[in-house]
Amino acid sequence: MKSLGAQPPELTTAREPVWRSLEEYSGDPEFLSRVQREYAVGAEWWLDEPSRRNFLKTMGASFALAGLTGCGIRQPEEKIVPYVETPENMIPGKKQFYATAMPQPGGAIGLLVESHEGRPTKVEGNPEHPASLGATDAFAQASVLDLYDPYRSRVVKRNNQISDWPEFLAELAPRMEIHRQQNGAGLSLLTGEILSLTLRSQIQQLLKDLPEAKWYQFEATASESVAQATELAFGERCSPRYQLVDADIIFSVGDDFLHEGASRVRLGREFANRRKVEANGQANMNRLYVAETTPTITGSKADHWLRLSPDSLAAVLVGVAKKLGIDTGAIPGVNTVAIEQHAHWTEVLAADLQAAGPRAVVMVGPRLPSTLHVLGYAINQKLGSLGKTVTFHSPAGEIAGVQPETLQQLVSEIDAGHVETLLILGGDPVYAAPADLDLAAHLSREKVAMAIYYGLHYDATAAQCEWHLPATHYLEEWSDTQADDGTVSIIQPLIRPMYQGRSVHEVFNLFLNQASLSGYDTVRAFWKERFGNEDYTKWHSALHDGLVKDATVPAKSVSFQTSALEKLSTLADHLTEKSTGEYTLLFRPDPSLLDGRYFTNGWLQELPQPFSKLTWSNAAWIGPATAEAIGVKTRDVIVVSNGTTSLEIPVWVQPGLPDKVVTLTIGYGRTIPDVESVGVNVNPLRNSQHPWQSTGSVKNAGKRVVLAATQHHHDLEGRDLLRHGTIQEVQENPRHPAFVQSHHHGGSPAAHDHDHDHDHDHGHDDNGHEAAPRDIRSRVPGSDQPTFYPDMKQVGAQWGLTINLGACTGCNACVIACQSENNIPVVGADQVARGREMHWLRIDSYFVGEPEAPDVYHQPVMCMHCEHAPCEPVCPVGATTHSDSGLNEMTYNRCIGTRYCSNNCPYKVRRFNFLDYHTEEKLLPVLQLRENPNVSVRSRGVMEKCTYCVQRINSVRIHSKMEDREIRDGEVVTACQSACPAQAISFGNIADPDSVVSKTKEHPLNYGMLAELNTRPRTSYHAAVKNPNPALVSEKENA
Amino acid sequence: MSDATPSTLPHGVPEGSPSSHTAAHAKTQHEIRSVTDQISSIVLKRGTPVGWYVGFGIGFLLTMVLMMSITWLLIKGIGIWGVNVPVAWGFAIVNFVWWIGIGHAGTLISAVLLLFRQEWRTSINRFAEAMTLFAVACAGIFPLIHLGRPQYFYWLFPYPSTMGVWPQFRSPLVWDCFAVSTYATVSLLFWYIGLIPDLATLRDRAHNWSSRVIYGFLAMGWRGSSRHWKRYTDAYLLLAGLATPLVVSVHTIVSFDFAVAQIPGWHATIFPPYFVAGAIYSGFAMVLTIAIPLRYAYGLKSFLTDWHFDNMAKVMLASGLVVGYGYLMEHFIAFYSAHNYEEYMMHNRMFGPYAICYWMLILCNIAIPQLLWLKKIRLNPYTLFIISIVINIGMWLERFVIVITSLHRDFLPSSWDMYYPTFWDWSTYLGTIGLFVALLFIFIRVLPMISIFEMRELVHHEGGEE
Repeated sequence: MKSLGAQPPELTTAREPVWRSLEEYSGDPEFLSRVQREYAVGAEWWLDEPSRRNFLKTMGASFALAGLTGCGIRQPEEKIVPYVETPENMIPGKKQFYATAMPQPGGAIGLLVESHEGRPTKVEGNPEHPASLGATDAFAQASVLDLYDPYRSRVVKRNNQISDWPEFLAELAPRMEIHRQQNGAGLSLLTGEILSLTLRSQIQQLLKDLPEAKWYQFEATASESVAQATELAFGERCSPRYQLVDADIIFSVGDDFLHEGASRVRLGREFANRRKVEANGQANMNRLYVAETTPTITGSKADHWLRLSPDSLAAVLVGVAKKLGIDTGAIPGVNTVAIEQHAHWTEVLAADLQAAGPRAVVMVGPRLPSTLHVLGYAINQKLGSLGKTVTFHSPAGEIAGVQPETLQQLVSEIDAGHVETLLILGGDPVYAAPADLDLAAHLSREKVAMAIYYGLHYDATAAQCEWHLPATHYLEEWSDTQADDGTVSIIQPLIRPMYQGRSVHEVFNLFLNQASLSGYDTVRAFWKERFGNEDYTKWHSALHDGLVKDATVPAKSVSFQTSALEKLSTLADHLTEKSTGEYTLLFRPDPSLLDGRYFTNGWLQELPQPFSKLTWSNAAWIGPATAEAIGVKTRDVIVVSNGTTSLEIPVWVQPGLPDKVVTLTIGYGRTIPDVESVGVNVNPLRNSQHPWQSTGSVKNAGKRVVLAATQHHHDLEGRDLLRHGTIQEVQENPRHPAFVQSHHHGGSPAAHDHDHDHDHDHGHDDNGHEAAPRDIRSRVPGSDQPTFYPDMKQVGAQWGLTINLGACTGCNACVIACQSENNIPVVGADQVARGREMHWLRIDSYFVGEPEAPDVYHQPVMCMHCEHAPCEPVCPVGATTHSDSGLNEMTYNRCIGTRYCSNNCPYKVRRFNFLDYHTEEKLLPVLQLRENPNVSVRSRGVMEKCTYCVQRINSVRIHSKMEDREIRDGEVVTACQSACPAQAISFGNIADPDSVVSKTKEHPLNYGMLAELNTRPRTSYHAAVKNPNPALVSEKENA
Repeated sequence: MSDATPSTLPHGVPEGSPSSHTAAHAKTQHEIRSVTDQISSIVLKRGTPVGWYVGFGIGFLLTMVLMMSITWLLIKGIGIWGVNVPVAWGFAIVNFVWWIGIGHAGTLISAVLLLFRQEWRTSINRFAEAMTLFAVACAGIFPLIHLGRPQYFYWLFPYPSTMGVWPQFRSPLVWDCFAVSTYATVSLLFWYIGLIPDLATLRDRAHNWSSRVIYGFLAMGWRGSSRHWKRYTDAYLLLAGLATPLVVSVHTIVSFDFAVAQIPGWHATIFPPYFVAGAIYSGFAMVLTIAIPLRYAYGLKSFLTDWHFDNMAKVMLASGLVVGYGYLMEHFIAFYSAHNYEEYMMHNRMFGPYAICYWMLILCNIAIPQLLWLKKIRLNPYTLFIISIVINIGMWLERFVIVITSLHRDFLPSSWDMYYPTFWDWSTYLGTIGLFVALLFIFIRVLPMISIFEMRELVHHEGGEE
């Protein structure tokens, strides 16, 4: 170990790490031996490998406290530009928004991040950013928690011993000297997808300076299919980008475009906008056909939804292509029986596609074999939709003139002994890479002289590498990134690095021999070159707007080469003949954790996954028929084996999943110190040739485990809680669609008659109370029912909320947005399993129709803010009361926790703090930094629930009072509403007849859930409307 | 006064008046002196039987379990129980209603039967009242500790808070608070007043100084003058009049906790009478559960005769039939309402995941007690004891079914969930049983378990009738 005095002068960078002396001393052998001699008890933790855990435990709190004191006030030193107000306007208690962007696989999403006194606390979408349009997804919402993740790496480590940057550089510098002399031979770089332009130029520079250096790429969620297919079909690698604004007919083959991919937020908006029905029953609805294997939320939104085994998917595409007159020739591996089986379906679909022509689009899931993609492009070509509803762009992260090599090549290079220094930039490839590569064994000291892992956590890869460098979170670094359409955003930090992390640019500068250059300088210099003379204004506006104007990349013009269809069998991942293995194993990124990058994120871990509503674990999805064949039920454990590896995983029986298919999600079972490893890591079952689909055998392990799901019953039991119908039914009777009416016992026949004569409601009711004006009543379902109770006093704005079930895709963004805004605690798997999840807003899923292949509907449920709330009269201490503006309010300080209100709530939206759910925040104060200061943190024994984001209402109210005006329509936006990509949620003043929400309340599709109970809910729903093809309606779709 | 007994003679009856007849009611062979001797000797004789130590020991141990459970509860919060959303009320409320129900027999026997001049009550009223008090004490623990923030329980009472906030009087929980505390107060007064002449007897017969002082203090200077007796009987009768409405009111109001809510299975107008009948049912069952072993342990066959048991069994049979009618009406209304939530609730009770509890309840509360129609069964203490235990279990199950099955599947199928009691649910429940047992044993040891003066009065009357 080098002595401290020997560090090169350029290492003293501008930022002094907070615990610098502590870390340095901890590495000093003399100091250590002295410590061991003199302060024996516990001092061995500093050296002893297995006790590192104890050390972290001991030091965790102090580190976190240091973070608390150090970071709360540490704004970045460089000038960052607030979105609405300038820094000198920073008023304590007043939030500010800064534009930045979050890199995600395939493209970044533009964000506005809410900051309280220098602490980023909440993420909102950037309306000007094309991938956001003002909305966000669950990942972006949850990313703010990652910043404060207590399990993040805080210091540089060498062989799992605390080290520091100077020591690392001292080690690296002579090594780089040698590499430089050898033109970079022996230097290798393993990265994920690179969205940062600055980083790309840095890599380019490195490869230019050191031409012998190698660049390898591995992205856990990526699939080669699209690249291969486009190469074959268009002669160049590109990636498709869909435009659903004008798409009338959408045929998705296994493409979960509403939940996956960089465009999901935009596509969610575009799709949902075409699913809304006007008040007069008119609608310009698109029609979605989905054929897929694993049920996805995109499938649940389909008008016609086929769930087919993987070999039948190609059959359906081939069937459609043939009906459209495309000569596909004989394609090996296509299930020809299935073509016949679905002949009618494909015929109807083909006719629909043909009629729509360029206004139709075929989308193919990125993980499906390239053959299907080529077929899809062929159909799109035939329809004339290429360049219209689907455009093509350069793949994200491409560097002109440089082609990265694959992980397989890296492994063989290591085996050949050609890799001496290896820098791995994030992604935990040891965990995420398919098992047959055995990357872990290749990173040993014997094989790679110096392996360096740069990442946010000390994970499985870090444990294999000699050096571990702590990374910075995107909210604490300067960088830039690109959206799926090429839009560039500058990532500006909202907070200085909380620990010793350095941005990827700074780390790269170490390799480029310019260690003194800061991340800011690097990014700034890169853009100064591009902005040229207008640099200052352009930089400023790029920071302010959250995107660099006129930096979008135009779409490529491509043309389909018909010869591609003949060459299908030359594809690397061409369809294989019917496999020998019994079961098809399908892998996919987890809907909550993606590739595992959000493994330590409690919000996402506790986010109920679509359909299963499972939290804190993955499970093997199998269909009911398969379950019966193996003899298992949900929560039983099965052994899945691919011949070489077998592992045990609990089962989730998912109706609709075809027989003989096992769907597994990656992202669970990561190993990070101090983090409980939940779920099962299924990567050992994958192989690098076919990472997303393989075959294997399955058998009953004879065990049973506890899985924590938030919903156990998906059957509506014949109740009209979730009303749904078709556009045809709407147009039969646009004023009173039959399916919107309550079909209960003689409850309220007139509850939804909006042109019902309400004249008798004027004036005083029988109790002598001033009755609410007629127009408000007409906007509250069931308020014309007789009641003994007087009307609530209504003064000023009357808040109401409407959720359009036809638009809602069940994407979960609102759930996390609500959690983030309202400081909702994470309770853990055990508490969820006991039925104590705390989400104020949940998304219920109901399965409708045949049990084998049901339709699925999503219904977000939060507090209904009933005018006659059943919870209020039963509270013995008056802790839940009604406000003049129609809010059902909780007074936490008054609550004694009888839970009577929860019992009496027919919607069961109240949440109770059965235990102290904020212990983690108390032990790890860094988590307190994330809390929204405008929302109380609830203590043990207190009831809580949705408040309609009352803190936002009050903030706007104060603002409007200062300006001496009424609150404008649309001025109050709830957290769920702002996050929703589909704009399914409307909120506002229902006393104002012109407000958007009033219009939605008067809409014929509007209904109140359980309004027959006389609750007069202020939250109401628009019945879900689908647009099925009449030609298929009478058919049994799954015949 | 040198003689011990005259001070406690009612209505100036001279001591030692012959009463060796076979009393038509009590079939006793007692003279007035022997009544006093036998009952007071249980308390005053030196040495305590081993059986008492065993019984009390069990009760005491379980009481310690209760203490431990409550301590852990206060440390961790009510999350140690199995409650959740939607089943936010679990064992605590089930046990509360069960104990309160048991606590009904005492007042009914003491007050209502007194007013109806049912003299057979004399043999059982004292320990039935004690049982009532202890059951109410056990019951009272639950609403308190089931609060999320039990430290603020007093917010339920209307006290002049500096912040000017009052309880929310529309909530049945506030009514509950008044009903239960009133009931507990009146029961305690009634019991204590009934004890005063007997405390004086014990004072006079006490063998040592400390007992004399303690009993003397508690006897409040009772001398047995006719003026004392006059005032005493007036007060006792007045209290009986006061206590009588409470028999109906307490469980009526407890039933409002459910009936006022709108959950299917709770929201039913039949609840008040049905709960009161259930309370009497379980109360009498508990009296029998205690009386039968007591009679054997202390050889009180001459006081607690088969005829007493027969009467109690008849009351049980009658109240059980009312309870059965309640069940029937719940089903009928669910059917007649044509309300699919109600219909589903009934269906779920009978065939849902907790169906076993429902059918056990029908077995325990409706089927087995029908054996009481047979005089043979009523007169056999063994069968009667078993049936009384069965009814206790059945009534507990009834509360479990009402509370849990109604909540666990209510309106939205998405929120349906299960309730599984945890170790702490059971330990708290068993703990209160322990507390009840321990208190009963202490009561038996230190106070006359049968009213001496009323027994003597009875003996005297019967003697007089001859």
